Amino acid sequence: MENDIFKIVDGIVERTGGTVDAVIPILQEIQNHYNYLPQEALERVCQTTDITPSRIYGISTFYTQFRHKPVGKHMVKVCVGTACHVKGATLVYDSFKRSLNIPDNDDTDAEGLFTVEKVACLGCCTIAPVVQIDSLTYGYVTSETVPEVISDFLASSNGQSNGTVPFVDSKEFQGEIRIGLGSCCVASGSFGVKEQLEKTLVKSRINVNVKHVGCVGICNQVPMLEVHKPNEALVYYTKIKPDEVREVIHRHFRPSSPLTRLRNSIYGVFDNLVFDSVPKSIKRYSSESVNTPVAEFLKGQINIATEHRGILKPSDIDEYMSLGGFTALEECLKRKSPLEVIDTIKESGLRGRGGAGFPTGTKWKLVANAESDTKYIICNGDEGDPGAFMDRMLLESYPFRVIEGIIIGAYAVGANEGLFYIRAEYPLALERIREALKTCESKNLLGNNILGSNFSFKLKIFEGAGAFVCGEETALIASVEGKRGYPTMRPPYPAKKGLRGKPTLINNVETYSQVSWIIRNGAEAFHSIGTKQSKGTKVFALAGKVNRGGLIEVPMGITIRRIVEEIGGGIPNGKRFKAVQIGGPSGGCIPASMADTPIDFHSLVEVGAMMGSGGLIVLDETDCMVDIARYFLTFTQDQSCGRCTFCRVGTKRMLDILDKITSGKGTHEDLDMLENLAHSTKKGSICGLGKSAPNPVLTTLKYFREEYEAHINGNCPTGKCKEMISYDITDECIGCTKCAQRCPVDAIEAKPYEIHSIDLEKCIKCDICKQICPVNAVVTR
Amino acid sequence: MRYLQTDLSSKCSSYTMINLKINSKEISVPEGTTILDAAKLLGVDIPTMCYLDGNTNHPSCMVCVVKDNHSGMLYPSCAMPVGQGMDIETDSAEVIDARREALELLLSDHVGDCEAPCRVACPAFMDIPLMNRLIAKGDFLSALKVVKEEIALPGILGYICSAPCEKVCRRKQVDSPVSICMLKRFAAVHNTENESPYFPQKELPTGKSVAIIGAGPAGLSCAFHLLKLGHSVTVFDSHSEAGGSLLNLLESELPKTSLSDEIKLIKHFGAEFKLEQNVTPEVFKVEIKPKYDATVFAVGEIDKSSSFDFGFKTNEKGIAVRDDFKVNDSIFACGSAIRPLKMAVKAVAQGKETAYAVNRFLDGKSVDIRYDRFNSRFGLLQEAEISEYLKEAENKGEEVNPKVGKLAGFTADEAIAEAKRCMHCDCRKPNTCKLRNYADDYKVDRKKYAMGTRSTLKKYLQHNEVVYEPEKCIRCGLCIEIATRQKEKIGLTYIGRGFDVRVQIPFNLELSEALTEVAMECANACPTGAIAAK
Repeated sequence: MENDIFKIVDGIVERTGGTVDAVIPILQEIQNHYNYLPQEALERVCQTTDITPSRIYGISTFYTQFRHKPVGKHMVKVCVGTACHVKGATLVYDSFKRSLNIPDNDDTDAEGLFTVEKVACLGCCTIAPVVQIDSLTYGYVTSETVPEVISDFLASSNGQSNGTVPFVDSKEFQGEIRIGLGSCCVASGSFGVKEQLEKTLVKSRINVNVKHVGCVGICNQVPMLEVHKPNEALVYYTKIKPDEVREVIHRHFRPSSPLTRLRNSIYGVFDNLVFDSVPKSIKRYSSESVNTPVAEFLKGQINIATEHRGILKPSDIDEYMSLGGFTALEECLKRKSPLEVIDTIKESGLRGRGGAGFPTGTKWKLVANAESDTKYIICNGDEGDPGAFMDRMLLESYPFRVIEGIIIGAYAVGANEGLFYIRAEYPLALERIREALKTCESKNLLGNNILGSNFSFKLKIFEGAGAFVCGEETALIASVEGKRGYPTMRPPYPAKKGLRGKPTLINNVETYSQVSWIIRNGAEAFHSIGTKQSKGTKVFALAGKVNRGGLIEVPMGITIRRIVEEIGGGIPNGKRFKAVQIGGPSGGCIPASMADTPIDFHSLVEVGAMMGSGGLIVLDETDCMVDIARYFLTFTQDQSCGRCTFCRVGTKRMLDILDKITSGKGTHEDLDMLENLAHSTKKGSICGLGKSAPNPVLTTLKYFREEYEAHINGNCPTGKCKEMISYDITDECIGCTKCAQRCPVDAIEAKPYEIHSIDLEKCIKCDICKQICPVNAVVTR
Repeated sequence: MRYLQTDLSSKCSSYTMINLKINSKEISVPEGTTILDAAKLLGVDIPTMCYLDGNTNHPSCMVCVVKDNHSGMLYPSCAMPVGQGMDIETDSAEVIDARREALELLLSDHVGDCEAPCRVACPAFMDIPLMNRLIAKGDFLSALKVVKEEIALPGILGYICSAPCEKVCRRKQVDSPVSICMLKRFAAVHNTENESPYFPQKELPTGKSVAIIGAGPAGLSCAFHLLKLGHSVTVFDSHSEAGGSLLNLLESELPKTSLSDEIKLIKHFGAEFKLEQNVTPEVFKVEIKPKYDATVFAVGEIDKSSSFDFGFKTNEKGIAVRDDFKVNDSIFACGSAIRPLKMAVKAVAQGKETAYAVNRFLDGKSVDIRYDRFNSRFGLLQEAEISEYLKEAENKGEEVNPKVGKLAGFTADEAIAEAKRCMHCDCRKPNTCKLRNYADDYKVDRKKYAMGTRSTLKKYLQHNEVVYEPEKCIRCGLCIEIATRQKEKIGLTYIGRGFDVRVQIPFNLELSEALTEVAMECANACPTGAIAAK
């Protein structure tokens, strides 16, 4: 046994190089193999490398990815990102633990079958609440449907369907059907639709090209099919189910041979007779009455980072190049000097898209001017904001565009080595980028003498190990150097002294993805879009209480109102628009009354929020603003690196106060203390995490103070704060006993045809009775 | 403009000079100098905790924070390099507030007692844990010295004290409190039975004289301390024997010989007794006030009905005094005379404090004792912590019962065994702990951020030189760095992230394996009592 571990670990050490700064990749490989970090494995690493016990323990307990205890056979990841949170993710998590009989202080069931954990964001916000079990993603999960999800998972893992191999003769395509396969699409069941599509085409012998495109952004309408037939208008089929696929195909395409047509129609009859009942779909769709949701959604968007959205197949470099890809790179290498490239970026007015908005051209200039024989370039793909998935989408759907931007950047500043820092929680993005890098290398777009020029550049991937703070550039650098992700003092800035002490350019994924367009279309074209201080476009992940959520790319200067009401289609279920949270946990809540605020770096700061990386969560009248502040603070408090007093202890104490307030025990003194502490923490923290963690608290205090006051007076106006509400059954009750049957703690006695009542002593406020009551007789007070 | 000498050049690799202002004074230093070092050159001291010269600096505690008026930001001065045009304030109200806030936040996460609960509960603030440790070692003389610092009459109180210390003794949560009162009695008796009993060293004679009216516990205690301070003392009492209200106690409560032995010690120490002297206002005016430099009224509970007319005020409780026991002029008062006391130890404590006040009045000098220092405290031990604390006690057994009976007291062996039950609740660094010292300086509110449930504390005692208490740690990381730098094989490490970060030992090994060479260096570097010499 022991020798096995030694062999495996020794192999890993050899593969990664065994240097001290390789500690994170080493741990990741060990974790991939064993699903946790056995102590013997760690000991062996210390024996065979210069990695000390102190370092290996320090690292393996800092990053969320690593576990020191074995996990169950299946991992249940309950997303607690912002969009999922506002739709009841906490109740879903509790429901999982209950259904699997997992005790409070543990995360694995007694049989070792399931481990349940909360994850910061799976990036499928539009189908919230989202749960991932192993590789299957479920959307629209509620505390009531959890048992169904579990049995569905167990059923599917026992009898897997084989993928059918489509027979495609590309010479005689009648047309093309495009289906988006970004992570969200897959989570909504697009894979099932795709399989059915391919199966049906093969069976019916219809020759149509099925093209998997990257993220289309219209997440609220997926699974979605786009049917392209020459000489016909483009048709969209939205929210399509696998059993509707046949109908769609036959509406547009017919097999070429008449015999096949006859055969198909006969079999079609039989199919209808013997066709299995539709697999019970777990999702709940709300009925929409908007006419052309797709068109409304796409109107007003400008695609720069997402250029050619819905057309490009992510892994097809030839297609990318045929649509102008890598011509910008060629232009730079062959006809522009590094200085000219920097000037172009400067003139365009591009500012960092990661949140801080530092002028990109200026940053590039600083790195270019730094004197050193070695320089590095890093792409920051550590998108940690819960509720933001723009970078994930860009990496999955436009890998070549991002890479092109990085190479151009490297050329401009004189970096010969680059790093792609990508969250480990984005497996598809990692896969796509890995593939894309190999492809680029094979085409002389990476490596020595790129495209025949004097410029050589290597790009590697580093997988983030799970720490939001590593989105901060100095903490990111620390983790690459094999240390705990602690930010360091600035100055010195990474532009002068970054990775391994060398000048380093760090930019966000989205920033790089806009570079190619700017070079091709000129700085002026980019500069002409947007406002005086904020040029160009920004990608946002629109989610929350909005009819049409998804990924949008809009010009700077567009108002919040336009985004929410026009593009997003307003608030569903007739509820009132209350506020938007922009910028994730570093940002702020802007009330609906200020919805005419334009999206612009400065205007947002003026109202107390900030641009952030692009998370845009819409909140309605049923959302409790105090709960939202507490939610964000819980996140930042958990992600604090723990180095400096104000962030480490200050955010914790702020959270303690908020816990008091949301459980009805807060006082006016608490409110004052909360506000003062928020200001102190902002001033006294060393890095951006601590400096911005109090923002949600401060903005909600500024604009929604009356809600805080209400909590202090013993009332949660929206009924969201669990500890302050109680469940009650009104006289509308029809005595159907559904609630009594489903109550997990038997707090309701089943009395057929009589009005039911809830035993408040037993009630755990799981919300199932409220969800399941057919006549809405369950209310919260 | 002051220019830097080259002694900082080893820290900076650049010769570019940066001009900035600190507290409105201009200075020019090489690029790369920290604000802290620049301030030092101007003679400006900034408090630091997690900073140690010679270590790479990772700003953590934020106690060294300063403000730059130019940018409006707060910076940790120990790590922030100077910048051109900075306008630094090191002691404005905003900066002081920020420092205090940092300390209060750190304290909210700090679980430990600066002084043991027993000492805090003692009205005379006797250093009980130290007395216990000395008795446990068999060093009874040193133990008595510790007692006599604060308590003049241990031979009496050892019988009659109501022992508020025992009520809060943490050992009570294990089995029963340490018999502190009887241990003190043992030390006192051991001394009186000695041929040459211990007397503390007196200060040089001051030539001043004090009249103490009343030979009760307050008066006797006051006499003892004034004598120690070099003054001459005369004690007046209307009775034929000294002792005041102590004379009313039964033999079974306080043996007469114990009382007289103790009074004899006071006499031998130099107090002049004038018994059977009733001090009336007339006597006072003629015989006492003109002949003595100060007078202390320790007359016991005064009779408010009859005319108690010495020319100063009384209130419904007794003689009216200020905070420092002063009545007016050269007149002081303490004990039941100012407010009826139920505990003799309080009278003894007041007698001591009055003596210090009189000394200040006579010589203008303050005795360097501070009873109001900052004290970190926490409540009862949690279930899981009881066994941790018990680790410190050599004797894990039940309380020792004196074979000869409670009135006779402990034998030497019994006293040693009982003293070994003490669990060393006091911190090992009460005077060098920076957190305590700064908490004093900045007058923090200890409880301001005490919210949520406190952490469960642990004690790492498996080491022959040091003790590690993780819940006193402020996560500065100096110990980790020292161990790494000196290439300890195991060393220490940070575990976890954020609020849950703790400094722990890799692979859960013992402290003795973690720190084989650098334990004392870590203890000296540690800014709190987290790592301390045993």
